[in-house]
Amino acid sequence: MNIEQLTLAIATYGCLYAVMTLALNLQYARGGMINFGVVAYFAAGAYAYAIVTQEAPSGLDQYLVGLDWPWWAGVIAAALASMAFAVLTGWPTLRLRGEYLALTTFAFAEVFHSLLLNERRIGNGSVGMANVEQPDFSWIGLDERVAYAFAAFTLMLITMLVFRRILASPYGRAMDVIHDDEMAAQAIGKDIQRIRFEVFIISAVPVGVAGALFAMITTLVAPSLFTAEVTFFVWIALVLGGERTIIGVVAATLALVGFQELVRSIHFETVRTAQIAASVEHIMTGLIFIMILRWQPFERFRTRKEAAE
Amino acid sequence: MQMMVFMQFLLGGVVTGCFLILATIGFSLTRRVEGFLNINHAEMLGVGAFVTWTLNTMLDWHIVPSALVAIIVTAFGGLFIARTVYDPIRRLGPAVLLITSVGVAYVVGGLVDAVYGTGIFTLDIPLATTYRFFGLRITDYQMMVVALAALTSVSLAVFLNRTKMGLAVRAMAANPELAASRGIDVRKTSRITWLLSSGLAGLAGVMLAVIATLSTDIAFHQILKILAVAILAGLGSLYTVILSGLMIGIAMDISVFWIPAGYRPLIAFAVVILVLLFRPDGLAGKRTS
Repeated sequence: MNIEQLTLAIATYGCLYAVMTLALNLQYARGGMINFGVVAYFAAGAYAYAIVTQEAPSGLDQYLVGLDWPWWAGVIAAALASMAFAVLTGWPTLRLRGEYLALTTFAFAEVFHSLLLNERRIGNGSVGMANVEQPDFSWIGLDERVAYAFAAFTLMLITMLVFRRILASPYGRAMDVIHDDEMAAQAIGKDIQRIRFEVFIISAVPVGVAGALFAMITTLVAPSLFTAEVTFFVWIALVLGGERTIIGVVAATLALVGFQELVRSIHFETVRTAQIAASVEHIMTGLIFIMILRWQPFERFRTRKEAAE
Repeated sequence: MQMMVFMQFLLGGVVTGCFLILATIGFSLTRRVEGFLNINHAEMLGVGAFVTWTLNTMLDWHIVPSALVAIIVTAFGGLFIARTVYDPIRRLGPAVLLITSVGVAYVVGGLVDAVYGTGIFTLDIPLATTYRFFGLRITDYQMMVVALAALTSVSLAVFLNRTKMGLAVRAMAANPELAASRGIDVRKTSRITWLLSSGLAGLAGVMLAVIATLSTDIAFHQILKILAVAILAGLGSLYTVILSGLMIGIAMDISVFWIPAGYRPLIAFAVVILVLLFRPDGLAGKRTS
């Protein structure tokens, strides 16, 4: 893989993952909700896009519905599907606290994954749906990969700006109060349950769109692409970037994706060495994670800057 | 005839449930005493299983000493991780500890992966003998799982209620500051807890190696079920783990009677979600004020 391809891959996937990190940032750092099932909203978007744009089933296909609509309808469907899934999962679980919420969101994601895997009528089961519709980029005169990187970047930018706007508004202040002191928020008449539910749904929308974009880029949706590992990856990026900074989490996601793509681009002679490299990548990621949480370098950096001001 | 098949699934469910009890009880003990969810617990099952496999097949040891050594290795491995990783960040709260334990799980899982690689591993032990009771089949290894689950639950209950050390552990769990001010050695109690919970993970890992074939991704599949059982029981409670382990084991295996076997893990979580809708703090939970 040459440098140009590598940079494009890092930019594209980095921006897509950053959208998820941003959503988690809003849910966790501001809303105080630990969502360990973020991959499910991503998968819901990707599958919705595939089902809406895919042609009607033929031959060996086992899925039931393929609407063969244009790509923009698929993107809208992806946003709606992710939102609907957030309503469905958020409504019963958001009254749970801390760890229970973390575990039930995780449970929902696993249930969803297992449903996609076993129910062939949704999307061919473990085989998945291949040849997902791609929009035609030829009229802009851009290379396809550049166009996708650009689209991912735009999506991330929009998410960032919208979230920033929300956080700066009175509504964002209300969220901060809930995060800092639930009792105080309740005392001044804020409906905690409702605000948390709304934040949960709002943050699911860009994740769904990112899922649709992911489906376009890979042209494949299959359960094996949407495992709990995606969730953990995003969480690691969030922790790496520091909870309360938007720029920080984006930079951390890009760095982490870059690290992963770099390891993947190394060419290995045998299957065994490639496999050891993959394990070492896991070990390294885990170690970085542990060390960041332990010494919290970003936190210290921030307090020092505040003290200097 | 249908009834007989159903009873066979039920019996299978009891065995699955007993394994889940073994796998979860250490996890719940950590949650109770140390106050956080140790996601790495499942990877310790993998460590126990693979140490057993190495001693048993590579070094040609008999299964019993290999299992014992594996349990001890896992117990001290768990203690080592607790002292080096978890203790220094205790002040940062349970959420950070929970997320850190995911990182630890990555490291331990990656190490096991790097050493053993892909493939399927089986122990060098005699094939299971099947016994028949009233037309129901059960193997000797399955009976061993049930017996060990019962033995572990009873001895843990005796330890926590009758021995001085056990009472100290419970005091620590209820109120660490008060326990320390009443002269309980906090470090020693925490050491016992870690040895005990990791040792139980090791035991569950050995059982996993005995009743199933091993692969390096097996640990990750266990954490899902362990979490299901632990949430259902109410995090940190020990005796309800027995009930919820059996419930989930039986629900999973009986479901095969009506729907495809691929849905088994889904059933576990469906039960959990259903119960949490009615009792947000699990089966053992007190009514929230």
